[in-house]
Amino acid sequence: MQTFPKSEIPRAAFPARILGIGNAGTHLADQLSMSAGADCEVLAMNTDAQSLFASVTSRKSTLGAKATRGLGAGGDPEVGYEAAQESIEEIRFAVEGASTVILLAGLGGGTGSGAIPTAAAAAREAGAFVLAIVTMPFSFEGRRRDRQATEALEALTGQAHAVIRFDNDRMADLTSPLGGIGETFQASDALLTDCVTSFLEMLSGRGPIPMNLGNLLTVLRDGSSCALFGRGASQSDNRAHEAIERALKSPLLDRGRMLDDAEAVVAHVSGPPSLSYAETSAIMQELGRHVPEDARLFLSVSLEDSPASPVTVTIFGSYAEQPASRSVERPMPARTTQPVARTSAAPVPPVAPKPNLNPKQADTPSETDQPARPEADPPHEAPREAPHDPSPDVRTQPASDDFLHPSPPGRLFGEDGTIQPPPAEPPTATPTPVPPPPQKRTSRVQPSAAPAKKPATPKAHQETLQFEPAARGRFDKSEPTIVEGEDLDVPTYMRRGHKL
Amino acid sequence: MARSEILVGVEVGTSKVCAVVAESMRNEDLRILGAGLVPSKGVRKGEVVDLKLATECLHDALSKAEMNSNIEIDDVAVAITGSHIASFTNRGGITIPEGYMAIDEQALRDVAIKAREVSLPDDHTFLHSIIQHYYVDNQPGVLNPLGLIGRRLEADVHIIHGAKARVQNTLRCVDSQEVKIEEVVSGGLASSHAVLNDNQREMGALLIDIGGGVSDYIVFTEGVVNKSGVLAVGGDHVNNDISLGLRIPLTRAEKLKIEEGSALIGQSLPGEKITLKNDAGFSGKEIEREMLNTIIHARIEEMFTLIHKQVMAGISVHELRAGVFLTGGCSLLRGIREVAESVFDLPVHLAHDTGVSGPTPILNNPVYSTAIGVARFVQTRRAEEGDPSPIRTVWDQMKKLFGMK
Repeated sequence: MQTFPKSEIPRAAFPARILGIGNAGTHLADQLSMSAGADCEVLAMNTDAQSLFASVTSRKSTLGAKATRGLGAGGDPEVGYEAAQESIEEIRFAVEGASTVILLAGLGGGTGSGAIPTAAAAAREAGAFVLAIVTMPFSFEGRRRDRQATEALEALTGQAHAVIRFDNDRMADLTSPLGGIGETFQASDALLTDCVTSFLEMLSGRGPIPMNLGNLLTVLRDGSSCALFGRGASQSDNRAHEAIERALKSPLLDRGRMLDDAEAVVAHVSGPPSLSYAETSAIMQELGRHVPEDARLFLSVSLEDSPASPVTVTIFGSYAEQPASRSVERPMPARTTQPVARTSAAPVPPVAPKPNLNPKQADTPSETDQPARPEADPPHEAPREAPHDPSPDVRTQPASDDFLHPSPPGRLFGEDGTIQPPPAEPPTATPTPVPPPPQKRTSRVQPSAAPAKKPATPKAHQETLQFEPAARGRFDKSEPTIVEGEDLDVPTYMRRGHKL
Repeated sequence: MARSEILVGVEVGTSKVCAVVAESMRNEDLRILGAGLVPSKGVRKGEVVDLKLATECLHDALSKAEMNSNIEIDDVAVAITGSHIASFTNRGGITIPEGYMAIDEQALRDVAIKAREVSLPDDHTFLHSIIQHYYVDNQPGVLNPLGLIGRRLEADVHIIHGAKARVQNTLRCVDSQEVKIEEVVSGGLASSHAVLNDNQREMGALLIDIGGGVSDYIVFTEGVVNKSGVLAVGGDHVNNDISLGLRIPLTRAEKLKIEEGSALIGQSLPGEKITLKNDAGFSGKEIEREMLNTIIHARIEEMFTLIHKQVMAGISVHELRAGVFLTGGCSLLRGIREVAESVFDLPVHLAHDTGVSGPTPILNNPVYSTAIGVARFVQTRRAEEGDPSPIRTVWDQMKKLFGMK
């Protein structure tokens, strides 16, 4: 194993440990360890010894050396799972003592999909806050991969505290359709590393309005449904507006349009000491225009020491699952067993591992660490000390609480971050521990259908959605004139709602 | 005719490019010899977005001006505008070295330099630094401290700055025309030289130059610049609003604004209709007059409200006794004065250029006020410096912009 100087820095200095699993994960870990921004411990784990050998991360370990003989998992999650089980001690050692563990993987293949739930469970057991950042395969990679990814994601959701999902299909929008494929991948890598670094920044930043894990959990709690991320930075005169503009331009936000369906949004603003109140409020106002009224909006502000540092706006968010491409497939998993059984032994595993995993790891923590009623302790500092408890599945009834605490009073500066899930979740939550896989599936169907208020929100916003592109007319392609958070290029009568 | 007496002001605007050739008279008046005006292309919100197109327009405008005035243009002064232009006031001071000595010219130069010592954003460059007031031993409001006795001399300086690259873009346009750039003047300041007289500045006045893409504003109190700025909203926005609101093409919208539009609402008869003339395959569509005026009114009122907010912070109505002056092409809009009056609560005048004589009828057209103002600015500058030809080469200008010496 190659050792890099970084590993000599004492452990305590690292706020987080980053674990890249599988080929995609290793690649991302490489990117992160090379980019200067991430001063944390980066590890890579893979079944493929060759790819691991080429990795530049400070620590790496081969998963399932016996099971795969270092040849990779061959796109089979079952093999990945076996490998992870075989190397469970190594995984435990890797996550030991870290307060935050960030897992990176590309789902749909063998190692990433198979091993990441195990790794998440191990990290959680070790008492860390677990964030998983995963990519979903391109749709052209076929149904099978998509299904494996969806299933792995479900298994992962039960284990990690938070999951941020990036759809590769959407990442393709990062560059022009005619751009080189290398360019596209580079851009998507950059976005993912941005996501990790900004997440760390958010947690480590010091400033007037700190972000705590509780708030983050509220937003990311929905696990797989968190797929909103945007980041923008600017140093110009008009830095606040430019930063938020750039953040909204992220393809994962679709120029801010995706935020129309957002349920909860975290905005992190970091900047030099000269960052003014007016700038912060301009950023939040601009963001507020894209986020539905009833969404929870959390703000954190941190200040950098250097006066030359740019104003950076980072947006994380979760949205109500729309009946989109993925949800079409959602019914499939219920039937998976049949096609799976038909094809061969291989496909069976994707379903199988989860049952194994979930009862084992998800339940253990929740039963041991979490007394009978998890809902009794909503305070949000909690997750740090007892990271096992806020397991999305375990949290129960507080639906009612949810309506008492949340957003209305403090939209801007948020309450202390209620982790309680929305009304949709509880039904799933209670039964989860017993038979996880089928339950989860139901749970995932429900959120899209059940909450009565959700469908209403998108509808209300569709109007503005149509408006936006047309509204700027001749100024469509020019730099927007934003004064006091309003885009002056949009006709005044439209903004003021004058009826013509 | 001595070259130094010829002044050429150029404005590369959003809706038109114009060049004005003028002659400096003995009595400090300006005589317009000719002007060239060409509808602009390649300029958005006061900034060049297509160098080639803008350069062509400028070339045409300069040729026209040369033809009309029968003078070959050599040196020009250029007006700069755009949302990147910003301003602030800074105070700097020096201590007069040998105890209580009379303040001399050297001290004035030193304090001017000292007050200019501020850090602009990296990519910005100084356009103007205008001394507002002096303080002698903390005694405020000293207009001319020359010869006064004091130990400490301070000055408030109004600094106007803009983004280097964007200023460069306009200058490159002019540079390609084989003329020398003598001076770069911010649009608002230039217009004020054309529109306001000393008396009005003394009384306190707000000037708003509403152009095609941007509106420059500048406030004078007690004879000096107090505030200035640019709001990137202009006549184009009104056209755009009309075009989107009534679903008609932009050119049609502009024509409609000029021919029929008014910024006043509640003046038309209920149900009064305007029939759009049936030209170029455009079927005779009818629109309600009130609808058109509502669209214009909303935009104009908002524009004034935003400027009011920015201008009136820290300034009382009593400091602007001369009132508000409107100029620029969009100030020709019907009813704009009434809207401005209701927003500012001050007397509002539609400016016509003062103290300028000449053979052409352009002088009462506010469209030219910036270009004329640029010429006038240079005239004043030359008179102040006493040097008949403070001609700086383009190269010097570039060096100045990049802060090289």
